[in-house]
Amino acid sequence: MSNKVFNILIAGIGGQGGLTLSRILAEAAVKTGFSVKTGETLGMAQRYGSVVSFVRIGGNTYSPIFGSGEADVLLGLELTESVRNMRYLRHRGLIIVADEYRPPSMASITGRAPSRSVLLAELARYNAVVVPARKIAVEAGNPRALNMVLLGVLNAATNILPHHVVEDTIRSIIRGEAGEKSVRAYYEGHKWFKNHR
Amino acid sequence: MSSLNPLKALPGTKLALMGNEAIARGAVEAGVYVVTGYPGTPSSEVIMTIQRYGGDLGIYVEWAVNERVAFEIALGAAISGARALATMKAPGLNVASDPVISAAYSGVDGGLVILVADDPGPHTTQTEQDDRWFAKLAKLPTISPSSPQEAKDYARVAFEISEELMLPVMLLTTTRVNHAVGEVILGEFKEPRRYKGFKRDPPRYVRAGMKWNLERHKWVDQQLSRVEEVTGKHGLNRVEGSGDLCIVTGGAAYNYVVEAVESLGLSGMTRILKLGLIHPLPARFILENIEGCRKILVVEELDPFIEEELAKMLYRAGLHIEILGKHAGWLPFEGELNPVIVREFIARATGVRETGGAEPVKPGVEIPERPPPLCPGCPHRFTFIALRSALLRNGFKPSDIPVFGDIGCYALSVNPPLNSIWTEHSMGASISMAMGLKIAGFEKPVVAVIGDSTFFHAGIPSLIEAVHKRVDMLVLILDNDIVAMTGHQSTPAWSRTETGRETRGISILELVKAIGVDNVAVVDPYNLKEAERIIGEYLVRKGVNVVIAKHPCALEERRTKHVEPYVVDAEKCTGCRACIASTGCPAIIMVEGKAYIIEEDCNGCGLCVRYCQYNAIVRRER
Repeated sequence: MSNKVFNILIAGIGGQGGLTLSRILAEAAVKTGFSVKTGETLGMAQRYGSVVSFVRIGGNTYSPIFGSGEADVLLGLELTESVRNMRYLRHRGLIIVADEYRPPSMASITGRAPSRSVLLAELARYNAVVVPARKIAVEAGNPRALNMVLLGVLNAATNILPHHVVEDTIRSIIRGEAGEKSVRAYYEGHKWFKNHR
Repeated sequence: MSSLNPLKALPGTKLALMGNEAIARGAVEAGVYVVTGYPGTPSSEVIMTIQRYGGDLGIYVEWAVNERVAFEIALGAAISGARALATMKAPGLNVASDPVISAAYSGVDGGLVILVADDPGPHTTQTEQDDRWFAKLAKLPTISPSSPQEAKDYARVAFEISEELMLPVMLLTTTRVNHAVGEVILGEFKEPRRYKGFKRDPPRYVRAGMKWNLERHKWVDQQLSRVEEVTGKHGLNRVEGSGDLCIVTGGAAYNYVVEAVESLGLSGMTRILKLGLIHPLPARFILENIEGCRKILVVEELDPFIEEELAKMLYRAGLHIEILGKHAGWLPFEGELNPVIVREFIARATGVRETGGAEPVKPGVEIPERPPPLCPGCPHRFTFIALRSALLRNGFKPSDIPVFGDIGCYALSVNPPLNSIWTEHSMGASISMAMGLKIAGFEKPVVAVIGDSTFFHAGIPSLIEAVHKRVDMLVLILDNDIVAMTGHQSTPAWSRTETGRETRGISILELVKAIGVDNVAVVDPYNLKEAERIIGEYLVRKGVNVVIAKHPCALEERRTKHVEPYVVDAEKCTGCRACIASTGCPAIIMVEGKAYIIEEDCNGCGLCVRYCQYNAIVRRER
């Protein structure tokens, strides 16, 4: 990677592990020798609300957040939230999104929630990489490791971080058996991207 | 959550730390000995970090019942020479304001630092309060960092300044510092500073003597006049670059300024004055460094605090330099700044053309809002449903009976489908505001709902008032045995504190009885029928009637209890949406016209089962 900053927007729902994902990225980036900044939304939105994390790796950055049209990658943990946050993507930026459909419950009641196929069609217009992340995570032993599957796909697509650093960081942040499953999910995500592109 | 222990990692190590973890490290490096506060986003992780990683450091680190008590504990420690830290969010400072405002008059011997976290945005706070004004009001030296590294360094410096000036120091942050992660280079540790001595000195510590108070006021003002000189050696303020375009900034806004100046190609002609000392503003530094400025841009969040102070400084110095900031309408008074707003402002103010990229992507689908709902299995959901049925059973429409809410997760019941609370104002306000409505002449029943931690924090005096003034009302204490909304902190009901100290848990039931309420009952809201019956009965009785709806927070309960999730039998589901429409449970979604339960989110409460006429929701087969 050059001396240019690499901006990643992680979009999801509170509880999906977006915060853990951004923290693993940040620590792994620092261990690799990059400068890093992240900006998080914590608190109320943690509970099944819309959550975004800003992650900025490399370059000489100061701000923990960035503006619309400045994300190199939109990393979506859920389809609705990915489409909601597309404005952050820069021209020809990369979209990596889990094929995970969780419409807002309010909109489900009133029937206003865009369907999965409408969201997928919208994402297809921008050549989004749609990852069967839940399926891969379940195979790796834990549906909650969906975030780690996306981390694997991200690193396969961009090659920003060495495998062993990511692996160590995952293990040190997610301890015990959950950590092992997370490492597995990461490698499965990485493999999926290599096999499907 | 950091992989290396941020409190034990060696000096010189570079770690990725969140601002709040960095503040925790800075305080420990400074030799803090007493740490207390009340949870509040975005401040909570400072104490949580020391509790999690500093268990064996011998530091006292516990949550207090509220911010006022927290600050008074810290003050009591600091007047004896110990180094103490009290943490809170902005509204918490309002709660603590009584002792904080008198504290400067007594002064301290050990360093006393108040961390106050403001929330431009606002992301999680009821107002966009700007506590730089509070610094002026309370006469507290105040410093404000821009990054996690500065957050750590300033936490250290704050203790030094406090001891040198003998004044409490406010470390004032915003969400984009507290919840930002960046590289932090760690420093050396000092030994924890504990009790040294405390001598009787009434003029200093007794505020009952008006003559003493006048003298102490003079002393405070004298100390404040020394702040710029005393803090000079800590490098809190600096000038970057040179040129006749000057930008004065501080806090999180500084980051946006630096990036904007670079991306607009203005680096060679711009002088940035970065202020870390916020109160009193460093007048000498500013006047020395604005010499030759053609115009001054002030970039700051929330109120035009620096801008107004700067205008006064220039006036007094007889200088006529144009100031561009909020007052002339260049920057917004409300909401948080971001890199785009700041870049556009600087471009407009300098006449530089922005070389923006292509238009951002605009999705062709409208995406509905996602307001945070109550969690799957939340006991509060049961209580609000029981309350609604109780109202209906007594012949009231829910739109007839005001439900006064309070601060906590249960405020989320404001959203459909529960549509429950009518107000949420400040800690403890539910009971007193309900009382006010009755006194004003409202004749139907009123309901106040308040959580367990909020009740301990500020609800007890309100309940005493309601009982003593004989105002009829129903008070629902939603007791989930934890401070849930801010990330599961301990309450005074626990028989072991957060750090494992054996202690004496306070019983809400005994407390309520001792206050002398007319009727009190404890129900488990999961037992919906019983909850509905008692709430219905108490709603229409004379007097102050309390129902304690007691059931552990569902997120906490699932950590210890085996959960049997439910699934939807797609053959039987007709897609009527009754399950979602009645509960608003976020574990249920509609997929291709059928209800679907996200298994790992289901807490197995079974509430949705009651609303399915088609018996389509069943326990998962194993």
